[in-house]
Amino acid sequence: MITVLLPLMMLSGCISESIDKITEEGEIAPEEYVWEDDGELVIVTYDVTGLTDDMITKFEEQTGYEINLMKLDDAGSVLSHLLQYKGVQIADLAIGLDNTYLQTAIENDVLWEHFANFSNISEEALIHYDGPLAVPFDQGYMCLNYDTEIVDDVNLTVPTSLWNLTEDDWNGKVAIPSPETSSPGRAFMTATVDYFENDQDNTTDWTDWWTAMAGNDAIITTGWSEAYETHYTGGYGEYTNGYVGDANIVVSYCHSPGVEAWYNGNWTKSKALDLPRAAFHQVEYVSAVQGGNLDAASAFIEYLLSEEVNVNMPTENFMYSVLDGTDLPEEGGYRYHSTIPTKAAEINATVIADNMENWLAEWNDAMVAA
Amino acid sequence: MANKYLASIAVGLYSILIIVPLWLALDRLVWVAGYDVTEWLSSLDKNFISQGVLEFTILQALLSTVATLALGIPIAWQLGRYHWPFQSLIRSLLTMPFVMPSIVAAMGFMHIIGENGLDIRTNRDTWFLTLIIAHSWFNLSLVIRFCEPVLSTLEPSMEEQLRLLPGGKTKWDRFRHLWAPLLIPSVAAAACMTFVFSFTSFALVRWITLGENTLESMMASIGSSSGIKGYMVSKNEIILGSSLIQFTILLFSLWLMSWLQHRRQTLLPTASEKVVKKKNALGWIFVIPALLFAVLPLIALAISSFRITESSANGTKKYWGTDGWEYAFTSTASLPSAWDALYNSVGYAIITLLIAVPLGWILAQSIRDLEQFRPKLARTLDLFTMLPFAVSSVMIGLGVMLGMIRINAEFFYSMWLTPVLAHVMITTPFVVRIILPALRSLDPSYDECAQTLGLSPFKRFFLIKIPMLRGSIIVASIFTLAISMGEFGASWVVTRNSDWTTLPIMVDSIRSIPYNNSLTAPAANAVSTVLMIIALILFVSTEKFRAKRDGGMF
Amino acid sequence: MLKCRDLSKSFEKILFNDFNLDLEPGEIIAITGPSGCGKTTLLRCICGLENLSQGNIFLNDVEISNMPAENRGIGLIFQKPVLYPHLNVEGNLRLASKEGDSDISNALIEVNLNGFESRKVETLSGGEAQRVALARALLASPEVLLLDEPFSSLDEELSGKLAKEVRDLLKKRNCPAILVTHNKTIAKSFADRVIALE
Repeated sequence: MITVLLPLMMLSGCISESIDKITEEGEIAPEEYVWEDDGELVIVTYDVTGLTDDMITKFEEQTGYEINLMKLDDAGSVLSHLLQYKGVQIADLAIGLDNTYLQTAIENDVLWEHFANFSNISEEALIHYDGPLAVPFDQGYMCLNYDTEIVDDVNLTVPTSLWNLTEDDWNGKVAIPSPETSSPGRAFMTATVDYFENDQDNTTDWTDWWTAMAGNDAIITTGWSEAYETHYTGGYGEYTNGYVGDANIVVSYCHSPGVEAWYNGNWTKSKALDLPRAAFHQVEYVSAVQGGNLDAASAFIEYLLSEEVNVNMPTENFMYSVLDGTDLPEEGGYRYHSTIPTKAAEINATVIADNMENWLAEWNDAMVAA
Repeated sequence: MANKYLASIAVGLYSILIIVPLWLALDRLVWVAGYDVTEWLSSLDKNFISQGVLEFTILQALLSTVATLALGIPIAWQLGRYHWPFQSLIRSLLTMPFVMPSIVAAMGFMHIIGENGLDIRTNRDTWFLTLIIAHSWFNLSLVIRFCEPVLSTLEPSMEEQLRLLPGGKTKWDRFRHLWAPLLIPSVAAAACMTFVFSFTSFALVRWITLGENTLESMMASIGSSSGIKGYMVSKNEIILGSSLIQFTILLFSLWLMSWLQHRRQTLLPTASEKVVKKKNALGWIFVIPALLFAVLPLIALAISSFRITESSANGTKKYWGTDGWEYAFTSTASLPSAWDALYNSVGYAIITLLIAVPLGWILAQSIRDLEQFRPKLARTLDLFTMLPFAVSSVMIGLGVMLGMIRINAEFFYSMWLTPVLAHVMITTPFVVRIILPALRSLDPSYDECAQTLGLSPFKRFFLIKIPMLRGSIIVASIFTLAISMGEFGASWVVTRNSDWTTLPIMVDSIRSIPYNNSLTAPAANAVSTVLMIIALILFVSTEKFRAKRDGGMF
Repeated sequence: MLKCRDLSKSFEKILFNDFNLDLEPGEIIAITGPSGCGKTTLLRCICGLENLSQGNIFLNDVEISNMPAENRGIGLIFQKPVLYPHLNVEGNLRLASKEGDSDISNALIEVNLNGFESRKVETLSGGEAQRVALARALLASPEVLLLDEPFSSLDEELSGKLAKEVRDLLKKRNCPAILVTHNKTIAKSFADRVIALE
C-alpha cells in the first residue's frame, strides 16, 4: 500500500501548481473587483472582547446589516485564514491584525481599500501604518507583568534585566505566548530584538536569550489568554477553570494591572515591569477584506471608530482607544494601576515588514537549539 | 450483471470520496513544501512546535496500552471466569465508555474531582497520569470485549482435562499452559487497538494536557495555516512528515491486529455461557471499583453542569442552577445555540447513515463476491476500505478542508453538508467491518433456494437478505450514528472553515471561551451531557442487537 | 419435456461428461451414484445455480441453458431443508405463491401439515421441515422438481415413509421430478426409472 501511495504523493503538487497558474492568469486587478451587497457582513476575528453582543446588535439595528462572526484562535489564525482564502475570500472584514502581522497581509494582497469616513484618530495610533487598507481601532503597550506577592524581592527579585529571567530562580515560571500565533507574543519578540541590540552586551543577541529561556523551561503558549489565565498567578486566572498557576511573570499589557484593579475594586497584586525597550507599542487594526462586501465593511469600520463605540475601548475591550484626547478611566484605579512604559522598543513598521519572516525563523531555531 | 455495475459504482464512489480529498490536500501540501521526503521527516525535529511531539505521542500511547491491559485483564478475568448477577448489565456498563465521544470523556475527567478543589491540571505532574488513566478508561472496553468471551465460553472439559494432567496441577501452570496461549491473541489485538486510539488521541490531549501535543492534535492546530504557498512552509513539512509517520504506524498496527484476529479464529470448543461459572465473592473487589471507574466521570459531568462557581477577588460563590444550560442553549452573536448544534449533529448523523450504510453494504457485498473467485483482489479491496482507519480523523478533516478550498471555497464554506463528507469517510469502514462477517456467515443456500422459487434478485434482496441480516444492519446503523455524533477530529478542522457547528465542537468552543465567565464550564458540561445521553441511548440500542459470542470490537 | 444434451462439467477434475437425459411429462427419475461423483452438481446445473462447462438443456423445447435460475421454472429441494428463520411457515410459503390464503392451507394439507401456518420454523422436526419445503416448492408450480437427497437427513423408517408420500403427491400433480440419492432402495421405490452415474 505504501508503494502505491508514495509515488502518488510524488506526483502531487502538480494539480495545485496548475490551478495556481490558471488562477493567476485569470486574476482580476483589485481595482476591477466588484462586490455584492447581500446585506450580510462576515467578520473574521479572534476572541476580541470588545465585540459584545450589545455592540453587534446595535450595529445591526442601526445599519440593517446582519453580522456573521467567524471566531478563530488568535491573530495568527486570522492572517492564515485570509491567506488561505486569497482570491476566494469568505470574510468581508478582518479584525485583530496588529502592526506585527499587518504587513504580511498587505504584501499578500488580501486587504482592500475601504471608504469609511472618520476623523479624530490620534497620531500615535497612525504611527505604524496610515493608509487605506487598515484602520487602527485600539492600541496598547506590551509589558511583562509580575505577581507582586511572590516577586517581592524576598521570594523572587524583581528583574532588572531580561537576563534575570534565564536564571535558576525563574525556571519554569515565565509564561510567554508564541510569536508564531499570538500578536502579543509577536510584539514581545520584536521588542526583544530591539532590547538586545541596545543592551550593554555585544557578545550575545536576542536569539541567545530565547535559547536560554527555552533551556530555563519558559512556558510557551499558543495564545495570550492561555498564558495569562492558565499560568499567571497575578491575574484573574486563579478564579477560572483549568487554572494551573505556575508562572509568576507573563507577557501582557502595561495596562493589564489597571484592568485587574478595575475589576477588583481598586486593588491588584499584578504590576507591569518597566524595563526600557522591553515594551512594545501595539496597534490593532480593522480592515476590509478584498472581494468582500465593501459597503458593509466600511459601515462597520465607521461604527468601530465612532465616538460612542471607540471611547469605550478601555472598558469593553481592555485596550486604549485610538481617538484623540482619550485616556483610561479613573474608575476603580484603572488608570492608576496602569503603567506607561518609559521607553518602548523602537522598531518601525518598515523594519518589521522586512524582517519578520527571518525573525520568526531565527526564533524557531533558537528555541529548538535549547 | 447488475451486481457488478453496482459494485463498480460503489468502489468508484468510495475511491473518489476517500482518495480525492486526501490527494488534493496532499497535493497542496507538497506544492508548498516540495518533494523531499527527508525534509518532511526531519522537520519534526527542526521545529519548535513539533519538537518532542512524536516521542510524546508514542510514549503516552504505549503507557496507555500497558495501563489499559493492566486494568482490563483482571476485570475480564473476573467477568469471564465467574458468575455474576446482572452479568450483561455489568458488561454493558464496563464497555460503555468506549462509545462516549472523546470530548465527553475529556470534560468528564476534568470534573471528577474538580469540585473538591483538586483540579487535575494544577500540578505539572498529575496531568500526564490523568491522560493515561483517561485513555485506559476509554479503552478498557476493548480488552473486555476481546478477552471476556474467550474466557467465558471455553468448553469446561478443556480445563478439567488439564487439571488431571501433570502440566496443570497448579493454577499458575494452568494459566501458563491454557489461559495465556488462549488469551494472547485477544490481548494482543486489544493492545493494538488501544495503541491506535491512544496514538491518535486529540480531544483528550487537547483538554487534559498542559499544551502538549500528539501528532494528531498538532496537525489539527497547524492545519489552518498550511497549504499557502510561501507561507509557513515548515508547517506543511511537519504535516507531511507527521501524516506519513502516523500512517505507517497505524497501518502496521491495523495489519498486526488483522493478522492476530485471523489466528484467533482457530476454532475452540465452546460451551454455552450458562454452564461454566461459579461465584466469586472476592471478585467484587475488582468489579465494583471498575464499575465506579466506568461510570464516575459521566456522573460527575452531568452533576457539574448544574453547579455554577463564581469566583473573583471578592470571594467565591457556588450554587446549583440551570444557568449553564440556559447559556448553552441561547444563541449569541459569537456562539450559536446548542439547539443549532444539536440540529446539525443529528442531521449530519442521519445523512451520514443514509450514505455510509448502503455504500458500506455494497462494498462488503463486493468483497464477499470477490472472495469466491478472486481472493487476492478481495483482500485488496478489504484493505482499501480500511484506509480511513490508517489516515486518522484530523488528516481526513484536512483532506476535506484543503481539498475543497481550491474547488470552490465559498460553496464549501456555506454548504451545510460539508462535514458529512468527513463523517462518511470515517464511518463507512465500520459499516464494512460489521456487515462483512455477517454476509460471510450467511448460508448461500438461502439465496439459492429463493432463486429456485423464482424470486427475482430484487425480491431476494428485500425479502430474504435484508431481513436475515437485520441485526447487523441495525448495529452498523447505530454505530454510524454514534460515530458521526461524537466525531471530533475531522469536524474540528472542517467546522473552522465552515459556517456550521456540531455538538462536540460546540463543547470545545464553549470551554475555550477565555476570561472569567462562570457559565462556560457548566454550559460546556451541559452540552456534553446532552451528547452523553444520546450516546447512551444509541449504545443501549446496540446492546440489544449485538451477537455476544463474537468477541470482537463490535 | 426436459432434455439434457451432452452436459459436461469439470472443476479441477471432471464431474460429469456427456450426460444425456430425456424426462417425459409426469415421469419420475432417480439418479444414483456414490458420494462426491457430481450428482448434486448435476442437479444444480440443471436448475441454474451453477454453470455447465458444455452442453444444452431444453425445457419444453425452449433452451434454458443460459437463463438465470429464477426464470427457469425448475424447483429444487435441498438436502437440508432451507426454511427462512425470520418467517413462520405461512411466510415461507408465501414466498412461492402470489395467490391467496386458501392455496397456502391447501398446500399444507397436501403434505399432511394441516394447520401449521403460524408455526415457527425452529419448532419443526426434520421431517416436517422438509414437507414445508416441498409444499413451498410445489406452490411455485415448477415445470420440473429436483430433489437433492432430501431424505438422507432423516432416519430410515421416516425417510421411507416420506419418500412414498412425496412420490404420491408428485404423481397426483403430474409433476415430473428428478431425485438424486446414494440410497438404491429409495431410488427404486421412488422413481419410475433409475439412472446410475459413475
